Amino acid sequence: MVVLKKEEMLSSAEDAVSFALKKGADEAEAFAYQGLTANVTIERGQIARSSRIIDRGLGVRVIIDKAVGFSYTNMMESKAAIEETVIKALSSARASKPDEGWRGLPFKKPFASVENTYDSNIVDLRSEDLVKIASVMLDAAEKKDKRVFPIEGGAGASYLSQAIANSNGIVSFDHGTIIECSLATIAREGSEVTPVCFEFSAERSYNIDPEWVGEEAARLAVSALKAKKIETKSTSVIFTQFTLQQLLYYTLINAVKADYVQRNQSAFKGKIGETVASKIVTIYDDGLFNSGLRTWKFDGEGVPQQKTLIIENGVLRNFIYDNYTAKKEGKESTGNAIRAGYLSTPNVDATNFHLMAGSKSPEELIGEVDEGLLVYYLQGAHSSNPASGEFSVVVTPAWRIRNGEIAYATKGVMLAGNVFHVLKSISALANNERKIGQLVAPWVLVENVKVVGK
Amino acid sequence: MKDILIKVVDVAVQKFGAKYAEVRAQRLFKTMLTLKEGRVEAAKRGIENGAALRVLVNGAWGFASVGALDVKTLTDAVSDACKMAKAASSRLKTPIRLIETKTVEDKVEVKPRKDPSKIPIEDKIKTTLSMSDTILGYDNRVKSCTIDYLDLTGTNYFINNEGTFVEQDKLYVWSRITATATEASIFTFSREEIGSTSGYEIFDVETPEIVGERVAKRAVEQLKAKPPKGGTFPAVLGPNVVGVFVHEAFGHLAEADLTLSGSVLLGKLGKKIASDVVTFYDDGTIEGAFGSFKYDDEGVPAQKTLLVKDGVVAGLMHSRETAQKFNAKPTGNARAEDFRVEPIIRMRNTFMEPKDYSFQELVEDIKFGYYFKSFRGGQANLDGTFQVGIQEAYEIVNGEVGEPVRNASISGNTLETLHKVVAVGKDFELWPGRCGKGQTAFTCDGGPHIRVKEVLVGGSA
Repeated sequence: MVVLKKEEMLSSAEDAVSFALKKGADEAEAFAYQGLTANVTIERGQIARSSRIIDRGLGVRVIIDKAVGFSYTNMMESKAAIEETVIKALSSARASKPDEGWRGLPFKKPFASVENTYDSNIVDLRSEDLVKIASVMLDAAEKKDKRVFPIEGGAGASYLSQAIANSNGIVSFDHGTIIECSLATIAREGSEVTPVCFEFSAERSYNIDPEWVGEEAARLAVSALKAKKIETKSTSVIFTQFTLQQLLYYTLINAVKADYVQRNQSAFKGKIGETVASKIVTIYDDGLFNSGLRTWKFDGEGVPQQKTLIIENGVLRNFIYDNYTAKKEGKESTGNAIRAGYLSTPNVDATNFHLMAGSKSPEELIGEVDEGLLVYYLQGAHSSNPASGEFSVVVTPAWRIRNGEIAYATKGVMLAGNVFHVLKSISALANNERKIGQLVAPWVLVENVKVVGK
Repeated sequence: MKDILIKVVDVAVQKFGAKYAEVRAQRLFKTMLTLKEGRVEAAKRGIENGAALRVLVNGAWGFASVGALDVKTLTDAVSDACKMAKAASSRLKTPIRLIETKTVEDKVEVKPRKDPSKIPIEDKIKTTLSMSDTILGYDNRVKSCTIDYLDLTGTNYFINNEGTFVEQDKLYVWSRITATATEASIFTFSREEIGSTSGYEIFDVETPEIVGERVAKRAVEQLKAKPPKGGTFPAVLGPNVVGVFVHEAFGHLAEADLTLSGSVLLGKLGKKIASDVVTFYDDGTIEGAFGSFKYDDEGVPAQKTLLVKDGVVAGLMHSRETAQKFNAKPTGNARAEDFRVEPIIRMRNTFMEPKDYSFQELVEDIKFGYYFKSFRGGQANLDGTFQVGIQEAYEIVNGEVGEPVRNASISGNTLETLHKVVAVGKDFELWPGRCGKGQTAFTCDGGPHIRVKEVLVGGSA
């Protein structure tokens, strides 16, 4: 399959919009998406497969008498298929019910500049290059310790492009790259098997560090050996980015979405201006974050992405909006309409959710803890109560901290609490900021977390 | 279609020397709805055409996926897959081989009583709206209700160079219904899923009124629930929780790829890992169940696979690759979400076999413990650490089910916990769900009520 160029992406979106208007749509929007991904996969200690996926398509949203219809196709080269898609979107809208809250599609606004989101070196990578990256990582892990078994992982490179057109004059194109490598390991000694330990590196430019990923994944697995049970009590806990991302994804991030607030599903409803977190906590949703994994010029509705202050020194300042939820409150979209490629209509979601770092090194943070846990990974965050923020998860593994030093790995330990209390109990932030999914954050130290042990 | 696919497979074998080559071509049609508080957010329909090409060259896998079905695109893609396999093979220690299977030529047609592709979208909107009305009208403390609806129909063509050709219809009807309720500063959340491979007639059984009330009632009753105590307690698990426990805590470890990766079941075939009353199956042949199909995505017939018999590990779930490694029979567990991804080992309908206890007998001699009735998610680790979040639970006090409990979750080590299953009920329920393992698979899981001597309960702060 040939890669579609900017002009082809744009014209298929524009053609779909004008065809929809001709066929009776009040408003129309078309979103074209193209993703080219190459992967090399590690399975059980060896590189065993390589794949290439070309996925592209066009999603069309039309509005007739305030009723919304949507249809998509993955046959972008066929004019007939696109026209049929438009017809389907129109008939869906006609079959649907009017949405009295509908206030129109957005208008064009100038984009801010984004940096380090595209690297031609990534586009030019071949399978052989990815094999090399995966090999470096694998070798680094195996060299570290004989007890380590790399169970899965790999290296991948993607080129993504998107074009949008709507009946209010928006016509825009953006493209970008992502490269990543990851390794999951376990360590075995005698009859003991550790939980899965995981490291990764993901960037928009070609500057990942596979050797570090391999070494670190191996180091974590080995240090998870000889795990012990601990007593039930309330204690200090250091959350790494892996665990923060899990806990916040299902709770805090939902609570700041205007959709959740307007629909009475957010514990933050009516709390703008109130203190919701410890005063050292400042969070932005930053759609323009330099080399951010979710940095783009525009969102899924063609609205410029932006930097929005969410929590300032512990005080709740703003929610995040798409066009629909913003218009409902007479506001402007914050550029947070996110799409799953061409397959869906946009939903309100975070871009790069940036919890600002502090000044302490991770070692200093550990040094401040007399008695506590360093929680690297956890299981079960998706079973949190998304409305109340209550969670009850198992940590796999965590390390006990005693007198400012890591003492040993723990097993069979659960953490229970409420994310919104956790936010208020953050007592220190490290300086080791990193990107993971939609989160950009450092390690955080939280006081008084309930640890359920034996 | 068959002629094109034969040509493509031939290119892989003859031009690139592939030992094995397969093509999976699909035409899929989807209808989707999202309703929020009875507002239809958008009525959505889509078409996907595409092919997955998988080859074994020099003992390594090459894979390509494209969103087209013409001979030129597929030939280019299969050539790509072969070249990639060659690149990957440069670092291979153990070449990949596949267990031999009988070749099959078959055409599988679904015959739903109510074909979702023939039901007007207006009717689907009406059904989901009436569910939404039931929920929002149940109690004024119900504040929100989100309903997602999906139906997927289409045809899957599978061919490989060994002579297997299967043309198989696909049909899924699914819905997820969630509601929240609020009173004072308490937020509760309740969810249900509906899923079937038989047809739209699922809504004649799981009617909007029945499902709506189930979701709304739970959200409201949880408002007066109290947090659980943290610690170790005896527990009775309902079929819905037993299902997710069998699936998450045991099932994933018995997926042969994860077993080989070092799950605690490695080396346990034929060994006792659970109490005598424990028997597990993974069954792809239950008619209409959400995890059922006739052939998997390697052209292997689905079957009823015994995993644990009276506490002893009897089998694992296999792809052709892992079956070869274990020298076992393939079980038909290789599934791919769609043409964008490779088949991997997935569960189908996974359950515990019922025995002879009544519910009363299970709870009657528990002084203090918990009855975990319905789950909100679960997850397991290769070392056997599992966690299951609970959306509906009750205290058991002096042998009676007592007050409701909110936001509990249970955890433990799978093998330790399986030895603590002391009694198994005579009832049985199977619940539809979706399982994530990089890709999404439609599954069911279930079983009877059971009693566990003790389990770790995560309390609240």
